[in-house]
Amino acid sequence: MAYLLQQLLSKSAKKYPGKEAVWGRGRSITYRELDERSNQLAHLLRKQGVSKGDRVGLFFPKCVESVISMLAVLKAGGVYVPVDPQAPADRVGYIIGNCGIRVLITDHEMRQLLSPKTLAIVDCCVSTDQAENGHSSMIPWSQLAEFPADHAPNVPSIETDLAYILYTSGSTGKPKGVMVTHRNALTFVEWCAEEFQVHSQDRLSNHAPLHFDLSVFDVYNALEAGATVYLITEELSLFPTSLAAFIQEKEITIWYSVPSALTLLLLHARLTPEKLGSIRTILFAGEVLPMKYLRQLAEIAPKADLYNLYGPTETNVCTYYKVERERLAGMEKLPIGIACANTEAFAVTDDGRIAGVGESGELHVRGPAVTYGYWADVEKTRKMVVPNHFQENFEEKMYRTGDLVTLNEDGNFYFQGRRDSMIKSRGYRIELGEIESALLSHPGVKEAAVLAIPDEVVGNRIRAVVSLNVPDSLKPLDLQQHCSAKVPKYMLPELIELCEELPKTSTGKIDRDRLKEAAAALPMA
Amino acid sequence: MIQTTEVKEQIRQYVLEEIAKTKGINQITDQEVLTKNGIIDSMGIFRLVSYLEDTFKIRVGDEEITHDNLQCIDAIERLVISKSKKSLAGN
Repeated sequence: MAYLLQQLLSKSAKKYPGKEAVWGRGRSITYRELDERSNQLAHLLRKQGVSKGDRVGLFFPKCVESVISMLAVLKAGGVYVPVDPQAPADRVGYIIGNCGIRVLITDHEMRQLLSPKTLAIVDCCVSTDQAENGHSSMIPWSQLAEFPADHAPNVPSIETDLAYILYTSGSTGKPKGVMVTHRNALTFVEWCAEEFQVHSQDRLSNHAPLHFDLSVFDVYNALEAGATVYLITEELSLFPTSLAAFIQEKEITIWYSVPSALTLLLLHARLTPEKLGSIRTILFAGEVLPMKYLRQLAEIAPKADLYNLYGPTETNVCTYYKVERERLAGMEKLPIGIACANTEAFAVTDDGRIAGVGESGELHVRGPAVTYGYWADVEKTRKMVVPNHFQENFEEKMYRTGDLVTLNEDGNFYFQGRRDSMIKSRGYRIELGEIESALLSHPGVKEAAVLAIPDEVVGNRIRAVVSLNVPDSLKPLDLQQHCSAKVPKYMLPELIELCEELPKTSTGKIDRDRLKEAAAALPMA
Repeated sequence: MIQTTEVKEQIRQYVLEEIAKTKGINQITDQEVLTKNGIIDSMGIFRLVSYLEDTFKIRVGDEEITHDNLQCIDAIERLVISKSKKSLAGN
């Protein structure tokens, strides 16, 4: 039994050496090549000083080298940190500084985006560029050839060591790094392997970016089964008809994405059952898929098993619902389902009891999938990863999801809403407070409120209402540009409205309900 | 008859003001790939298509919403010109 993620690769490389493991940007590598390249890169990383527990950043657009790098870092005993290639330089710099990345795997184009301050933190950059272009400060990919390919460095990692850190939006204005161990990830991967019966003939899509936890299934369940994972680039995912053609051409058998990607396909790709003919399983997670689109999906993919997966990055997927086709016609709301194997999920009522049937409460999760918490943030970790006081005989931790759920008579949990101001848009977790901090950091801004307007296709659209210290001193575009240097593009408000003063409640707080009503009434572009 | 220079100027204006600037990008060349680095997102693509349809009185089919047709200002101009010629020929 594997207890480290890289052991999934070793097993499949022995069993299926010549089989295609990863396809991306028109290139593919076999299991043997993936094993050998990652061995070589692991040795190179060790030579550059990477030792057990060291964080190594991955900062380049998704390609075959991404998967090689992830495995190489693990083989070197390190912890990989996929950094959003589209994030603004400030945010990239913050992440690199926050978890102390000294070795960065990147390419020449991406490296140029880093500020001198960020580059000063990093001791060494390894370039993924296939062609050398004489950039002396980076270690060229071709140097891999100088290292042994037939074995990985001998590093005695254990399953409770960190494997990777994924940064998500933080309410105080800075992203927070969720620390994931080998055991956390494997608990999820093992459950998926069993539930979805992934086999070596499967062809998995990878739609999500690699800094997004949905990608863990795509990559590691493909490796576990000896299957092939097809990396879908951001460019391709923008064009529904091209994406549908890709699914058909590559004969994808298991699809996993956020619901909004499926909705775009349903609305604009002119799907037919033939186009999706190869797909046997469709998984979606990250936000709520509206029932009308789920019904359309069930019709256009009549033979596929459809699953709604649920879980914050801090627990991986922790509950799931396999769509019962016979219930679809009369179903009003899609459940998030029941706990995955080796995971326990329960709702805790406001008065501190475990919710029974028909009751609501905050969903709590315990089990080996629950992560340690946030890198270098003890305070935030303590708030979310809390002692399980239902366990009287020994000390144990559980994770508070912040999600309010109801346990229905059908035995399923149903998502009701959030306890805080975190929202989802296109499946991304967004703390509205992070955007507000970005706006308020402009010296000309007096007050700012960021609002989420529910939208059937993308989940939520973001609008902001701002008042200025000096009226008319700034234009909405100035503020948009200011924010774009601080938060990722998917977090930028679509519209920033200026007003003299934000409306207040009787207690003097910003009246968000009134703002939301007014914003929802405005036409969407 | 549509003037090509005018078409390009209008496309440039829209791409710069409505897409690039809102993402903090103040300059954009005619060849710069908009689909790279998240300059344009999926909603942006469909807004751009609606703009092209309304402004140039053309109809862009779902199957024409592709990377090749919309990847940069030059490509968008080619799409608009070819669509306008077709619609003129159709009249």
